[in-house]
Amino acid sequence: MVLTHTTNHTYNHPFPTVTLAFFLRYCTPQLNPFANHVLSTDTIAQHVDPATGRLHTTRIHLKKSKMPPAVMKLLPTSLTGGAADKASYILETSVVDMKEGWMSTESRNLNFVGVLSVIEKQTYSAPATSPSQHVTAPNPFASNGTTDVATTVIFRSRLGERIRDKLHTAHHDASGEGGWFSRLGARGVQRSIESLASTKTVDQLGKSREGMQKILERLRQTGVMGVLELRKMARERSMEAA
Amino acid sequence: MSQSLAKQCNEVKERYDTCFLKWYSEKYLRGIGTAENNECSELFKEYSQCLKVALKERGIDKLLEEAREDNKENDAVYLGRKK
Repeated sequence: MVLTHTTNHTYNHPFPTVTLAFFLRYCTPQLNPFANHVLSTDTIAQHVDPATGRLHTTRIHLKKSKMPPAVMKLLPTSLTGGAADKASYILETSVVDMKEGWMSTESRNLNFVGVLSVIEKQTYSAPATSPSQHVTAPNPFASNGTTDVATTVIFRSRLGERIRDKLHTAHHDASGEGGWFSRLGARGVQRSIESLASTKTVDQLGKSREGMQKILERLRQTGVMGVLELRKMARERSMEAA
Repeated sequence: MSQSLAKQCNEVKERYDTCFLKWYSEKYLRGIGTAENNECSELFKEYSQCLKVALKERGIDKLLEEAREDNKENDAVYLGRKK
């Protein structure tokens, strides 16, 4: 079963600034108070395509599990890997085309995919009505301009497919653990996981937007150097604390 | 940005991130960032080498391979053509 959810939003900031904010969004809680659940961020690949001039980036984020607690409770530990494994790895790929004025991003969970796979796709673009805005202006952070973003989230639960085999083998022992799924029905479980996750994620989308907003405001006020300085200070403070 | 998933890579990650953010905002966004004039490439090599070990240790390299396979399947079925 697959659920998709699409939203549109417009930031009152020019396209180059929004793309920079995207890269900065898990920088430090000082910059984005909504990024507290992000434990680590690493860039595993990054290059400019010499033919197109597009910047391709692949990052891995480790986040405290975004799987709703209600879902976690529904699942037997054999599927979730137990309480120890409540963080999820997120693979994020992005492509920026500064000449054409668009950025497309995709984030997906790397673990728990057997339970629920969530794929978030975003396309950021400078509005078509002002094509000159994104064309490598001398000051890309000029405070006028807007950026549209379309977000699509696709939920897919494979739990049903995965446990079907288990059900077959456990069928003769229906009173045991196999009965858990039989009673609820694999399809029912699958559907509730998807709808729960979907509600939660819509919530999460709002927060991620607020986070972007904070970074954008900071960039407008202090510029990139100000943000880099804040980042450095936050890092030094965390090192002192350690 | 935030920490690296591997503590031992934190320092080089930090240097790379700073380099990248400067390059991105001062060059790439101004249309002068190309594949050739990227001053962060050497740092990235160093960072990647450190990270490679950590990704292997945590089995993330395998998860990545699976995701790549799954990606092809997903895109073909649900999303059609990719940009």
